This record gives sequence, structure tokens and C-alpha cells, in this order.
Amino acid sequence: MKKDETTIPNSNADESWVLSSLEHDQLVRAKKHHIARRQLQGSELVVLWALRIYLLFMMAVVGYQVWTAAH
Amino acid sequence: MIVGSKSPETNGIADEIVVITHEDVDRAHDRVRVSAARAQRGFLPRARLLWLLVGPGVLVMLGENDGPSMLSYAATGAKFGIGFFIPFVVLTFCMAIVVQEMTVRLGAATHRGHAELIFDRFGPFWGWFSMIDLAIGNFLTLITEFIAIRAGLGFFGVPPWMAILIALVILYAALMSHRYWTWERITLAAAAFNLVFIPVALMRHPNWHAVSHALVTWQPLPGFDKDTLLIVLADIGATVTPWMLFFQQSATVDKGLTTKDIRFGRIDTVLGAALATAAAVATILATAPLFAHQMSADNFQAAEFAQALQPIIGRIGASLFALGMVEAGIVASITISTSSAYAFGEVTHKPHSLNLPMGQGKSFYSVLTLCAAAAAAIVLVPGLPLVYVVLVVNVVAVLAMPPALVFLFMLVNDREIMGDLVSPVWANVLSTTVVFILTAAGVLFGISVIAPNIFAALGGK
Repeated sequence: MKKDETTIPNSNADESWVLSSLEHDQLVRAKKHHIARRQLQGSELVVLWALRIYLLFMMAVVGYQVWTAAH
Repeated sequence: MIVGSKSPETNGIADEIVVITHEDVDRAHDRVRVSAARAQRGFLPRARLLWLLVGPGVLVMLGENDGPSMLSYAATGAKFGIGFFIPFVVLTFCMAIVVQEMTVRLGAATHRGHAELIFDRFGPFWGWFSMIDLAIGNFLTLITEFIAIRAGLGFFGVPPWMAILIALVILYAALMSHRYWTWERITLAAAAFNLVFIPVALMRHPNWHAVSHALVTWQPLPGFDKDTLLIVLADIGATVTPWMLFFQQSATVDKGLTTKDIRFGRIDTVLGAALATAAAVATILATAPLFAHQMSADNFQAAEFAQALQPIIGRIGASLFALGMVEAGIVASITISTSSAYAFGEVTHKPHSLNLPMGQGKSFYSVLTLCAAAAAAIVLVPGLPLVYVVLVVNVVAVLAMPPALVFLFMLVNDREIMGDLVSPVWANVLSTTVVFILTAAGVLFGISVIAPNIFAALGGK
């Protein structure tokens, strides 16, 4: 048993109510499996890069505004 | 507990060894109560079901009515009075509903946090970009929350170091239950105090005819200049920010909501937005007399707004205003530091839940408290231009929003993870409109800084 898992009385009754109350994907153990990565399309990459450049540029603008306000 | 289970309840994983953690057991307790309420018919069981399922939506909306947001609304009322900004704030909360509803669906359908989904689906390259945006935005915003707490308690003569200490103690006390449900109820109770701005607004007897006229006509319009644009951006940043996406999705997962609960998740979000809108509009109404008295509020902090309002609404009203600022800062410092801790746990695959006992969630609780403590310490630095920091932080939040929204948009339209819960066309049109509005607002702000003459010409100044 890993350190992050709690010792709980090990009986079928304990087991079944937890398992029946939660969906399989809700169990902590199930979340350790990664969801498969998807391939980004060309248009999606263009949008993501455009927004990244937009954000960096605007941060520079904010920096400039702070600098001018400080002076 | 490690259980070799072959029971049908394991939903198709009968041959796997099922490990049940403390976190699973706590979440299962919450789900049992939800199932019991759902099994009954009638008004009271429905009301109980709503009571059990509300939380993330109300918390995220009232949490976003934070220190800088309330300060922005106060500045709005003081600079522009009753007019364009009343319906504008209502519109920004409508945008927030469109955006936040998507996080409810994502969380309920995938049972994964927002940061985790971005890393898994788009890879660490884009994942780290969004994490850096979140970390910087959250830390800057946290600083402003402690500015609000310090300023609000300063109204009562509390020294800055003690104000910060009080805030940190409250934040830590909310965590002590190590139970999501208890944490959520404590934080909701604290967040309800955000509505204190409503009686403050009523104390100054607002002109309801002017309010309804403004809501219908959006008049009078403000002048078109750099100051107006800064307030426009600050008010947008006061309602839609990246931490909200990460927080509500992670809280939805931690609470254990499933696809059956999405309708209640939507009600939760709309209810939160309605309460937050009422508090925001009330704050504008509360400070509108400062506009009528031609009082310059350019360098006002929370305490100074309260002091300026005292002759108009009395000592009790001013005290409530200052306490509202303190509450706004405390609740937001709790929710924002929690969103940082959730995101950190999701990308590092460390345990990340408010259901974790301290021993099992050391990294989660450490990140949460360290973020808050570091931001709190910065506020104690003498000579910091606090008001300016507050306005800039809201602007930064608006600028960081379009990239965050595009990730959300792509995830919520990803049929492989969402199945039939992908966004309908109308929701995509609305969310795309929100992205365009935010990007356009950012571009206008950039023009106003780089080429202020253009704005002066357009504004006739």
C-alpha cells in the first residue's frame, strides 16, 4: 500500500458502498491513468501561438505603462 | 485499502485491483447523501439536493467579488456614478456564466481538473504556458487580496501585520477540517458576507429611477478616454479571470459532481452570478455619492472609500463597507490559493483534494499556505503603490483570459473526452464572442497606452 492511501477496515461491506457510490473515473486510483494526448491541428496551433504572442506583447505594454506611471 | 474486487459495482474494472483511499471514502459519503436526496420526490428533497450540490459556482462568483474587484466597483461608482457601468457589470457577469458553465460540464464529465486536462490533452509544452499564466496571475491577485484586507481592517485601526495575521489564521482554520464539504460550507458562510454591500447601498437611498433608466438605456455614457478604458478593463477583470476556470473545475471534481448533477451545477453558477452581481452593483451605488460630490477617488484604497462615505452613510455604513472589503479579500485569498494548490497537484500528480488529511496532502496544503503567506508578506513592504497594483492586476487578468478561454473552448468541444456533453453551437457562439470582446478590450488598452493621442482625438480631449 502506498503512503497516500489510508488503512480502512478491509471488509466487503466497506468496499461495496464506496465503489457503488462513486463512478469508476472518480476513484483516486483511476485518475492516475493519463488521458491520451490529442494531435493539435495547424489552425489550432496558429490560434494558440497568436494568443501567446498577444499575451507577451500585452504584458510588455503593461510593463511600459507601469514604468511610465512610476516616472 | 486494497481490495481485489470482482463485484459488478466496479463498473467494468472487476479484474483490476481496486484501491480505495481516504479521499474516495469522504467523497463517497457526500455522494450517498446526494443519491438519497435525489431518490425522493417533493419540494423539500429537491431543496435539499440543491443545498447539497451548490458550492463551486457560488464560491467562484463571490470569490471573484474579491478585494480588487470591489475596489474597481467602488472606483467605478465614485468616478462615473449611476449610468453605463451598471448594465455593463451585469453583462460581464453574464459572460462569466457562459464561461464558468463550461468548467462544470468539463469537471463532471471527465472528473479531472483543468490543469490536468490541458497537460494530458495538449502536452506539457502548452500545459506549462497555461500554468505560468495561472501562477503569475494568482500570485499577483493574492497580493491584492491582502491589500484589501490590510486596508479594510486599517479602517478599524488594526495594524497591517495583525490584519495579515488574522487573514492567514482564518485561511488556515478553513483548511483544518480536511474535508471538502466542511471547507466549502465554512467558505460559503464567509462569502455570504459579500452581500453586506447591499445594505450599505440602501443606506444612501439610491435614486432607483436613475438605476432603472441606466439598466435600460446604458446612459449616461462615460467619456471615451484612457481612464474609462482602464475602468472598463478592471470591471471585466473583476468578473472573468483565469483562476476561476481552474478553481471551479477542480472544485467540481473534488466535490464529486457527475453528469447527473450538471443541471444543478448550472443553477449553482447562475445563483452565484446573481448574488455577485447584486453585491457589485450595490458597491457602485454605494460610492456613487462621491461622484455626485465631485470627490476625486483616484488614489482611494478600501479604507479611504469607507472614510469618504462616512459623512453620507454614517459610521455603521462605513464600517460595513470596510468589513465587506475585508471579507472580499479573505474569501478570495482562500479560493485563489486553493486553485493554485489544485493546479500544482494536478500537474505534478501529487494528491490534491480538500478531503486529504494533512499527512497525506502535505504538498497540497503546503502550496496553498505558502502562496498565501508569500503574498501576505509582500503587502507588508512599505511604500508599495497599492491602488495602482490593484488596477493593474485586474487588467492583467483580462489580458490572460483569451489564451485560457481557447484551451477551455477546445477541451469542452473535444468529443473524445466529453462525449455528448460537447458544447452546443449557441454556447460556442457565446464563448467565441466572449473571447473576441476580451481580446478587443485588451487591444484597445494597448492602443491607449502606446498611442494615447488616438484616444484623446476620439474622446474629443
